Amino acid sequence: MTTELKIPEFSANFAESGQQGKWGMAIDMDICTGCQACVAACAMENNVPFVGEADSGYGRSMHWIRTERFWEGEFPEIKMTPYQPMLCQQCGHAPCEPVCPAFATVHSQSEALNLQVYNRCVGTRYCANNCPYQVRSFNWRDFERPEPLPNQLNPDVTVRRRGVMEKCTFCIQRIHRAEDQAKSEGREIADGEFTTACAQACPADAIVFGRIDDPESAVSKLARGSRGFHMLEELGTLPSVTYLKAG
Amino acid sequence: MTDNFSRRDFLKLASVGAATTAILTGCGPASRYVTREPYTKMPEYTYNGQSTYYATTCRECAAGCGLVVRTMQGRAIKVEGNKNHPVNLGKTCVRGQATLHGLYNPDRVQDPAKQSKRGSRDFSNMDWDAAIAVVADALKNTDPTGVTFLMGMAPDHLFDLVSDLAKAIGAPAPIRFGALGMFEARATLGKAVESLFGQAAMPFFDMGKSDLVFSFGANFLETWLSPVAFTRGFANMRRGGGHGRGTLVHFEPRMSQTASKADMWIPITPGTEGLVALAIGRIAAEARGGSLPAAFADVDVEAIAKSSGVSAEKLDELGKLFASADAALAIPGGAALAHSNGLETAEAVLALNALVGGLGRAGGVFLAPLAPMQTEFSRPANMAEMADFVEKMKSGEIKTLFIHGVNPVFELPKSLGFEDALKSVQTVISFATFPDETAMQADYVFPDHHGLESWGYQRVAAGSSQSALSGAQPVVSPYYNTRATADVFLAAAASVGGATAQALPFKDEVEFIQSKIVALVSESDGYFGAPEINTFTAYFQQYGGWWKTVDELATPGGDVLGKAIQVGEARFAGEGEFYFHPFVSPVLGEAGANKPWLQEIPDPTTTAMWSSWVEIHPETAHELGVDNDDVVLITSEAGAVEAVVYKYPAIRPDTIAMPFGQGHTAYGRYAEGRGSNPADLFGEQVNGAGDLAFADMRVKVEKTGKKYPLSRLESRMGVYGEALGEEH
Repeated sequence: MTTELKIPEFSANFAESGQQGKWGMAIDMDICTGCQACVAACAMENNVPFVGEADSGYGRSMHWIRTERFWEGEFPEIKMTPYQPMLCQQCGHAPCEPVCPAFATVHSQSEALNLQVYNRCVGTRYCANNCPYQVRSFNWRDFERPEPLPNQLNPDVTVRRRGVMEKCTFCIQRIHRAEDQAKSEGREIADGEFTTACAQACPADAIVFGRIDDPESAVSKLARGSRGFHMLEELGTLPSVTYLKAG
Repeated sequence: MTDNFSRRDFLKLASVGAATTAILTGCGPASRYVTREPYTKMPEYTYNGQSTYYATTCRECAAGCGLVVRTMQGRAIKVEGNKNHPVNLGKTCVRGQATLHGLYNPDRVQDPAKQSKRGSRDFSNMDWDAAIAVVADALKNTDPTGVTFLMGMAPDHLFDLVSDLAKAIGAPAPIRFGALGMFEARATLGKAVESLFGQAAMPFFDMGKSDLVFSFGANFLETWLSPVAFTRGFANMRRGGGHGRGTLVHFEPRMSQTASKADMWIPITPGTEGLVALAIGRIAAEARGGSLPAAFADVDVEAIAKSSGVSAEKLDELGKLFASADAALAIPGGAALAHSNGLETAEAVLALNALVGGLGRAGGVFLAPLAPMQTEFSRPANMAEMADFVEKMKSGEIKTLFIHGVNPVFELPKSLGFEDALKSVQTVISFATFPDETAMQADYVFPDHHGLESWGYQRVAAGSSQSALSGAQPVVSPYYNTRATADVFLAAAASVGGATAQALPFKDEVEFIQSKIVALVSESDGYFGAPEINTFTAYFQQYGGWWKTVDELATPGGDVLGKAIQVGEARFAGEGEFYFHPFVSPVLGEAGANKPWLQEIPDPTTTAMWSSWVEIHPETAHELGVDNDDVVLITSEAGAVEAVVYKYPAIRPDTIAMPFGQGHTAYGRYAEGRGSNPADLFGEQVNGAGDLAFADMRVKVEKTGKKYPLSRLESRMGVYGEALGEEH
């Protein structure tokens, strides 16, 4: 008996082939209030460690998602730029991938996601250096979680240790759970059947997650709108996250 | 399990299953809990890798958002919002998400204990029988007029139980207080509504259907009243149902998180918010034509432009904008009401709504419905009442003080002298879940369960247009040797006997809750109905509470514009050169400092973490000769604190601002000794509604020469790149 494995061909120019991701996100910067609920929800869902005052001061905090803001002008005409939740953009053409010597930062053709394989990662941090969005965080230590805090850990998500790079996964554990469920019922995943922790918590519903390959999905409709743009679009990274311009 | 079994069905089945089992067995409280087992030995109703979800109520503030907590084998894993709940419709705020770091906090009070000497932190553990005997003894052998219950703003079921208990023994009614209630100026809102509309109620702001919101100091996207509900309203306003994109104009001396979302931020002189509202009212009334209403007739726009720092042209623009909107809404709140003229400010702002026909109009102001079973509007104690209470303590009138759900040593202005006054109270019994400052000054600490281990209910005061009672149930079994305070009081009342026992003839907390919610069984217009109380209780747990299916918003009435509104000048205490603008930390709230992940979540506007800071305009800082990370001494009339400078470009140069939430001297390893507490600077001045005028303060700022590196997410190169050597 022979089994035919269907391994997708590696294609150096798949970016040009217009391959589109399966999962996408739209973030409406006009209604994001910067409340940080997404940041807390992400940390709780994905077992993201807290690093403490000193390490966070050195820029070693581990947030997988953060809200950025900048200033324009001077008092009294000063403006804060709209809050900009920044997370892994799940690029179709990701700068972090080709630099990894250990193939820990790999592209999943089937999921169209950027994977981070923790047990391959040797901690070169090349990927973080090369990420134009600065969304990768490195475990500089085994950050302490005193008892009984580990009771809260999500058993669906690996707890990372020192020397490993990590980043937003689009809550891949939720994707897989929903896929398994749909498969067992012999159907496709419906749009809105599940969502990421950040989108689920967002009190303003500024973050919308779903099937970007389905033109009728909520996220596709938002991403097609006139306000949509991609962060650092000019780099040609083909992000799966579309931001909606404020104002 | 059948083939087509959605997670929701699973959830329903799982929680009803658990609930009905407990009711059928009819045993004591212990059997009502889910037991926590090792992953290798699981309860029979769990499936490998399957989660069980429980609906309950968030206790991080008193808004009463519904949660659905994901648990695995008796461990709480993740907080999610309850999609059916009218307050939050499936959403949560940052503090709700982090509530698990309270549940599994390494510094919880683990056993009932007696402290050898107040403040010594030398605790010897007791057993619960001895603890109940202490409570019973205090109830029996103290002159009832000397027994006082000091309660937090949540949970309501315990407040009801304690109210019944106080009545039974002849003690004064329990006092409620919470720092958020103080910063929100709840008493001022209630009183302004009463004096304008003739009926005391919580106002309900229908932001989602408005197309123009003027917010006078109300930090509704942060911590104010019901932030998740307001954030939803804000998002709907921005999406513009029927109106086009809605506009937000925010008046505040510093750019708060709420102000940062505004299309127009007006950095107004502190204390002139009411005057500006009057000027806008006059200009809007003139723009709308017709006769000028008496409320705005005597307003001198030129004088107001001068005192408020908002130019006459700007006022004109704002007034015309307000008059021309389809559904304009004006909201008073927060520090704008914390001035000596705060009550009048609230009235002036609410009157703007009357001017544009916003009373009872979609996108306008309504009176919020009372919660189910609630007969009249109630509010927490204002500062004037708290000051009376502290006087009573000092005079030795109060012999026994029970404290639950509030941390007055930290939250009240230091100048009020609560900590000193405690010394005149013979017996202080704290029911704190965490070792907070007040518990450290108690004789006994009899720890209550964490909110996620507790039964209960919470009345929804502000966040819902439907009358709603949010229900709480334990999502996990108690982790430590804690006991529900309700059960402690019930057991103590039983052992006291006589009329006290008769007034509270309940076996446990759940029976008490059932005795209250039984009144809802016969209601027909609820989200669910049930023929009898046990089934009703099961549904109450499953759905996370009970609420009506129809809106019950009342239209405010009364002759609002018929008489002139006089807003006087704010009277500032102290001689310093800066206005002081305290605000509640948008991330930590009043009690979040002990949760490590909340500490590491950057403040939305400054991105600071793990500490507190003082916001100073860069030019002011330059004049003072201080830079980022320099420690300054801030002195008010009432006290002094040290704080780290954060050069904040979006604050008036004559104002400094400081977050409330840090500066703990107890409260566990993550909170203790971190930052400073602006409440140490507060005086005792109150406004016309008795709320603390915490923004009526002028302070001095002095260099100390010390430095403290403030952790922050943003680049340390500074807002204008000054660390790169660029001249600002």
